[in-house]
Amino acid sequence: MTETPLLELRGLGGGYPPISVFRNIDLSVGMHESVGFFGPNGHGKTTLLKTVAGLIDPWEGDIIFAGNRLNAEGRMRARTSKNLNYDLFRKRRIRAETVVNAGLIYVMQGNLLFPEMTVEEVLDIAPLAAKGRTGITAMRQRVDDLFPRLQERRGSKIRYLSGGERQMVSIAVGLLALPQMLILDEPTLGLSPKLRIELAQAIRKIRDSRVPLIIVDQNIEFLTGLVDRLFLFDHGSITREIDSGSMPKHAEIMTMMFGEAN
Amino acid sequence: MISLDTFLFILASGVLLGGLYALMATGLAIVWTTLGVFNFAHGTFVALGAYIAWQVTQSVNGGMGFLLAAALSVIMMYGIGYLLHFVLIKPFERNANLVLLAVITTLAAASIIENHILIGWGPRDKQIVPPVSGAISAFGASINIYDIVVLAVALFSLLAMALFLRRTSIGRAMRAAAQNREVAELMGLNVSRLYAMTIGLSAATAALAGVFAGSLRFINPTFGTDPLMKALIIVILGGVARFTSPIYAAFIVGIAESVSVYFLGLYWAPAVLFAMMITVLLIKPEGLFGHRSRTL
Repeated sequence: MTETPLLELRGLGGGYPPISVFRNIDLSVGMHESVGFFGPNGHGKTTLLKTVAGLIDPWEGDIIFAGNRLNAEGRMRARTSKNLNYDLFRKRRIRAETVVNAGLIYVMQGNLLFPEMTVEEVLDIAPLAAKGRTGITAMRQRVDDLFPRLQERRGSKIRYLSGGERQMVSIAVGLLALPQMLILDEPTLGLSPKLRIELAQAIRKIRDSRVPLIIVDQNIEFLTGLVDRLFLFDHGSITREIDSGSMPKHAEIMTMMFGEAN
Repeated sequence: MISLDTFLFILASGVLLGGLYALMATGLAIVWTTLGVFNFAHGTFVALGAYIAWQVTQSVNGGMGFLLAAALSVIMMYGIGYLLHFVLIKPFERNANLVLLAVITTLAAASIIENHILIGWGPRDKQIVPPVSGAISAFGASINIYDIVVLAVALFSLLAMALFLRRTSIGRAMRAAAQNREVAELMGLNVSRLYAMTIGLSAATAALAGVFAGSLRFINPTFGTDPLMKALIIVILGGVARFTSPIYAAFIVGIAESVSVYFLGLYWAPAVLFAMMITVLLIKPEGLFGHRSRTL
């Protein structure tokens, strides 16, 4: 790749102290590229993405987005005493607000959103992050076109929505922040095959409108048509990178990761 | 049997108390639902609000003075509540024991505020002069005009607050931060500021309650103890499932209090209220108007 990368991770490591979840993550995603993450449950994909989104402090390494470093420089200081309130002195090393304002939007997995708010209320506050930027009105129109079902459920509280509808609201909220890049964490988790196809179509439309995507999924067939490159994630590090030309079948990947016994 | 006018008198004073308690309890409830911590300094917010208003009425007399006092007290307490978030809760928010630590810090704040009131204004009882006087009579019972004004303003303020939380973007953002902190952060909302605004709003309603309570009875440095206790009973009795739950509970407690004061005497009233609270805790722990969730 010759173009400058939009998102670049350099030697990123992190986790929930004292447990290290992922380490030495190096990857770059280009301006007009969509990539997929694939790997078994509990291997640190979501923790990595939460760190990139600014919810969790990275331990080491850098997160660079559109040429700017989003995290504080250096490594995280280890906690050496249990008695002092270190949080008082230790600043957050990355803040979700910085990441969102830079245009990197993370759509959480299995999103509960705000159970007691209506769809309309949620979509109303979604563009607050992008306040003052142009294109919000156009994006509202696009969201209505992408998810006509949300128009019908405008007055319903989020907790009465189905899993698929909730996922649509989550993605709509992400889009309304006018993303430079959108991260979708297991968007099809727990959805019926029919809804999965519907959602895949919507995601393809988003990709075709040249919003770079990072998609995490357990289903390789779902990812194959959507992404240009695929990263295999195993025990907290990226073990393999696959180009779209040589995208393997689900079974092949399983063999690759778990051996013939699978 | 009691006569009709006695009954109406008990009911009227119960409803007035209910209005005041609704103001006090709603403030406590929105902090509990938003931050997940219990603010033991809430009672001293009521007291401090009353003292600020009293101080203003000392320099400006009459109805204008009262209005100015109430407005200044509400605005100042909003600011104090806002700042206290960064002192009492924010430094500990990443600690696993946040709930326990907040009990300690807010109790400490309550004690510090109470003693500074004692240092600043002295131990002697004070009273804010009510701006209107006179009474109207209905069905043989006479009701103070000021009581009606207090009830109306209290209910109007609660309605305004509910509309603010439902209709404005900032209010909706505050509810979002209350319901799911992580997602609110991912939307780029400044959750710390929204939390601080919630405590500010809570302190402002406490101040309004303090101004009214301080014009109906005497204020002294321990003035905040009773409102805190009543607000606690109400929030537990009614639950916090909806914005309105503590408001209904406040009227139940207000009327129950005035009934038990009349029939059992002043000293038995708290016992009756606590008995009600314990009964509800045993039978329906999430509160009379609650279900198993806490939201704003």
